[in-house]
Amino acid sequence: MQAHAEDSALADAFAAHERWAFDEAYARYASLLYSTAYHVVGNGEDAEDVVHDALARIWRSPGAYTRSRGAIRSFLVVCVRNEAVSRVRSKQRRLRLVERVAAEPEEHDELRVVDVIEHDRLRNAMTKLPPEQRRPLELAYFEQLSHTEIARTLDQPLGTVKSRIAMGLRKLGAALQPPS
Amino acid sequence: MNEHISESAALYALGLLEPPETNAIDAHVAACEACSQALAQAYDDVAAAASAQPQYAAPASLDARVGSLWTPPKKHGWSLRQLGAIAALLAIALLPTAYLLHREQTMHRAMLADAGLFARMASSPHRMVAFTGGADAKVVYGNDGSWYGVIVRGATRPLRLVWMHDGQRTMLGQVQSRGDLAMIYLPESHRMEHLALADGDRVVAEAKLAF
Repeated sequence: MQAHAEDSALADAFAAHERWAFDEAYARYASLLYSTAYHVVGNGEDAEDVVHDALARIWRSPGAYTRSRGAIRSFLVVCVRNEAVSRVRSKQRRLRLVERVAAEPEEHDELRVVDVIEHDRLRNAMTKLPPEQRRPLELAYFEQLSHTEIARTLDQPLGTVKSRIAMGLRKLGAALQPPS
Repeated sequence: MNEHISESAALYALGLLEPPETNAIDAHVAACEACSQALAQAYDDVAAAASAQPQYAAPASLDARVGSLWTPPKKHGWSLRQLGAIAALLAIALLPTAYLLHREQTMHRAMLADAGLFARMASSPHRMVAFTGGADAKVVYGNDGSWYGVIVRGATRPLRLVWMHDGQRTMLGQVQSRGDLAMIYLPESHRMEHLALADGDRVVAEAKLAF
């Protein structure tokens, strides 16, 4: 897990809702959070709103983060990503994976890439998963389909889809975690 | 939900579940250490996936919006009459209170900065260099040059931290007094190889930083 990479003082202070900890966490992870939102919603304006709204929700909900939730970094990424997914769903903008991949280079021209080395690591890691795990995970991660929609799309039982997504995500996470 | 969440942790972290399901998981995880760890692991997996996509710098407009979330807003729109009445009140009765409040807020801001610097020093690889010249001061900075903290001992006058570059001086901020010590913390910065402390326009100490 990532918790070891963060100092416990910051995590304690964040859980205690201390302002400096929110400042510090944002300073550390702003780029990651913005990028996470951007990859879901597909444009900078919505990505900015998503990060703002997710952090506002956390700030207004003391107790939203506890140490049992693990690393702040992961917690914030999941919160921002879920906010972005909700926004995409509410706007009924479910873009096809292929369309989004094709559109990415032009859309990102105006943005400053801060980590080009990471560019294709996720998609490369995805290709190494067994197809039966990769496809439902792609639909979940890139197309934000719900588990019932994925089951319907792939014509598979819901339980099978759930366990394949879970196994796929665990393998993906293990492959992408930085060496400790 | 009484049974363990098992693979639902991944679905939860991926945002695939509906509110009734997430609420049930929240309630279960609050009381189940094993499932709490499973959920934290799923969070880490999603974060690892997000980190492996291209990363873009957050725009300055977002920084400003987010910063204002936890910074109390300044109040505007007082009429001159109201301002006059408040000023009179302060002058007559509340001046000591205002002074104490201001001092407390200043101390609070200073404590926030100190805590941020100490947390950074505890968690990030860093270096320390002493200033040479007429100030007993040290600069602590991240190995990658992304943050800096300057500590001055026994400063009798307010000092400013200055970045010396390309024959120019860029003012970075005022070193804030903490009694015998004075400090300044720059949580986000770019790499700076030459810093100075200035009393007014006069440089009193300099530090050359290695990376």
